[in-house]
Amino acid sequence: MSAHFIQYLKYGFFGIFMGMTLSLVGFTDFTEVHKMFIFADFRLLLLFAGAVGLSFVGFALLGRNANIAKKTYNSGTIPGSIMFGVGWAITGACPSIALVQLGEGKLAAIFTILGILFGVWAYRKLAAGGMKLDTGICGEA
Amino acid sequence: MIEYLPWWIGALLLGSIVIGFWFSIGTPLGVSGSWARIVLWKDDKHIEKAEAPFRANPALLQDALMKSTIAHFGEEAVYAALSAHSGNVIPTLATAGRPTLKARVPWTMHAFFLAMLIVGGLLASLITGDGQPHLTFNLGELHAQLFGSGFGYTMTLFFGGALVGFGTQLGGGCTSGHGLSGCARFVPASLIATCAFFGSAVVVSLLLHFFGGGTA
Repeated sequence: MSAHFIQYLKYGFFGIFMGMTLSLVGFTDFTEVHKMFIFADFRLLLLFAGAVGLSFVGFALLGRNANIAKKTYNSGTIPGSIMFGVGWAITGACPSIALVQLGEGKLAAIFTILGILFGVWAYRKLAAGGMKLDTGICGEA
Repeated sequence: MIEYLPWWIGALLLGSIVIGFWFSIGTPLGVSGSWARIVLWKDDKHIEKAEAPFRANPALLQDALMKSTIAHFGEEAVYAALSAHSGNVIPTLATAGRPTLKARVPWTMHAFFLAMLIVGGLLASLITGDGQPHLTFNLGELHAQLFGSGFGYTMTLFFGGALVGFGTQLGGGCTSGHGLSGCARFVPASLIATCAFFGSAVVVSLLLHFFGGGTA
């Protein structure tokens, strides 16, 4: 088995595992996410905080000597994140959720996905055209 | 009403994914980065071509690094740094060996990852349903109450999706990259970004709640 094939297996495993988890905990349900944002239900907030806490422990135990890439702050961090939050509140979807929703059979998520593709494309066009907002986007390895 | 997993099981699963992904793959989990690589799929070929000579001959990379070091700091500063050490040996090269380029994950790997998120959603719906895929058009009763139906509804989703796409690129990450992978390591940029996207989502959701006309 080539290293390439094993890499595909890893990405595939975590893709399926993550998709199933996000669906089974209700992160793909607009009503649940909306209730989280208006503080009517703290279940998803606790879940997110718990996941961050567990990840903190994991990084602390396993990553003490590792040099893990850190995102850097720049002029786009706050305005970009604010735009993302508005989009999330409207669609109930962050970049992974829209795909999981489609998998669950919520067909309208196709329009969210098309929107995300358009948004990413538009940003890259603008960024290449001289809008000098160099952002350290995650996972670019 | 669908029964969802309790928060602590979800936290255990999601935390395991964050740590497992980073530990076995080597880069922190970040989904918006995968979207960027797919949209920029054409760049892969150019980058591969530009990197090829450096991969074939690491000495070229070493020379190029030295050249840009001199260009950045000035010849005098570099010579001063070199002469501070015995002989002409650059300490980092002597101890760490020749610089090498990190292996680059092809864009198809990222596409595969995103496709498997769809499969994960399908499998979850088969488990919770009666083994049949459950097709609906809208995102639930409340969402339909807030945003209507038909063409306007689809345009709302497209517009919202575009904000998600543009915003995550400009902001440098999303819920997974900033929110989970970043916050868990107290990366300042990620903490700021998470506060910003969570804050704006709360404001818009409260506006929808009080003025949007939803009853659910």
